[in-house]
Amino acid sequence: MKESPSEKELRERLGPSIFSGEGFLGNDTRPVIEIISNDLALLDKTGITADKIAELLTEVYNKAVKGFGADVEVFPGVYGKYNESMGKIPSPFTGEGVFPKGEVVVRYSASGDEMVLTPLSIHLIKAHGFFQGRGSRYRIEPEKAADLLKLKQ
Amino acid sequence: MTSLPWQQILLSIGFLCAIGLTLSILLILAEKKILNYGTCNIDINNGDKNIPVEGGSSLLSSLADNEIFIPSACGGRGTCAYCKVQVNSGGGITGPIEIPYLSKDELEKNVRLSCQVKVRKDLEITIPEELFSVKKFKARVTEKKSLTHDIIEFKMELISPADIDYKAGQYVQLESEKYKGRDSVNRAYSVSSIPSDKNNIELMIRKVPDGICTTWVFDHVKTGQEVAFSGPYGDFGLTDNDAPIIFVAGGSGMAPIWSILRDMKEKNINRKAIYFFGALTEKDLFYTEELMSLEKDLHDFKYIPALSNEPDKSSWQGERGLVTDVLKRQIPDMAGFEAYLCGSPGMIDACVEVMKESGIPESDIFFDKFA
Repeated sequence: MKESPSEKELRERLGPSIFSGEGFLGNDTRPVIEIISNDLALLDKTGITADKIAELLTEVYNKAVKGFGADVEVFPGVYGKYNESMGKIPSPFTGEGVFPKGEVVVRYSASGDEMVLTPLSIHLIKAHGFFQGRGSRYRIEPEKAADLLKLKQ
Repeated sequence: MTSLPWQQILLSIGFLCAIGLTLSILLILAEKKILNYGTCNIDINNGDKNIPVEGGSSLLSSLADNEIFIPSACGGRGTCAYCKVQVNSGGGITGPIEIPYLSKDELEKNVRLSCQVKVRKDLEITIPEELFSVKKFKARVTEKKSLTHDIIEFKMELISPADIDYKAGQYVQLESEKYKGRDSVNRAYSVSSIPSDKNNIELMIRKVPDGICTTWVFDHVKTGQEVAFSGPYGDFGLTDNDAPIIFVAGGSGMAPIWSILRDMKEKNINRKAIYFFGALTEKDLFYTEELMSLEKDLHDFKYIPALSNEPDKSSWQGERGLVTDVLKRQIPDMAGFEAYLCGSPGMIDACVEVMKESGIPESDIFFDKFA
């Protein structure tokens, strides 16, 4: 059985690197396992799985990409704006492949809240239940993401 | 006298550590002394070039030591997957680190990440011909000019070597310096200057939020500063025939097309060409006057900017809508055209679909995806 990586190793993988200047942890000092378990617990309360969230976010991302940089209403009251970016970024977990670097800024018109989606951040949710640390530009609040399902219907 | 249980535990741990340490040292010594691979030959492109190298290093670094630079962004850590090379023999088994980065087709063709292939015996590899002419350059930044709110033109004068040969459409890898605790990285940018100007290189760089290299370029690099890059890379560029051309670009995707168009002018290439440039609003356009002026200078050229988010009440008289829609409106039948595209993957994928539906075979659609 593959041994789970230690906290030190996880923080090294998810910290700043030559691919991600800011890393994936933001200013969150909680252990990575705690970040993941807390977020999954929050998600659990909404009754939606990480897989389903990843599927929803992928749908939002793909719809927004088709706007070529213009605001696209992806679901009622939810807008996505695609920002192009050159190249690909590898997953911080070795061996999981590389992901396009473009991003979609999602805006909820009612609250004005925003979150930034990338193919890699969606992958991290699907593969590891990792929504990124607090303060990370790419952190996705589990409940905010779960709201998308209600807004879609 | 019998020792206490905790003493026995400590003794056991110490003994195991000692064994582990001894084995590690033995392995390192074996690698260095016993496993002497001697001189190995790297045969490139069926004997086009043969390089004798000391075995034991990675294929990527062995090639770089002999001034053959395979693109790489992670410094040989097996994570960027840029350094792909076809290894025809002698490369051993594809490792588990490589497999997730290789497509089924690449696995069948023995494509490998050259940073993960260790030179242990003679190797036969295939690489694109143009990599033979890739060099490392030192240059001085001569200008950083704003083109839009988030795109700059980045001009460099070559120092050493003092000149460069490249084809319009190719790209270079700019090497950022360390700053604010961020490591040096290599990032690819298409060249926007004309190949005939061999002493200068121009790039168009869009600022990426938190981007390591673009933040360095925008916020840290000063005019007059010495920088490093390698290149030229890539095979994007005009084919040698007379077919009419559709160019499509967006944002900093302008760079290779701007280079190709001015190269066409210099070389008197008289192919019919129509250039669609997709942007959100009029303030996102740049080089408009120069491109309009090329309509007079080139034999049969038309520039069509398409704005997808320009306010209805603005004075904009040109095309409105997504570039794909404008493309369909302007050229309902695209059969017989060749297409050259540079921009975001979303825009390129959508344009390719439109073009295929309108009669351009996939083999005549060439693109430089930001990917």
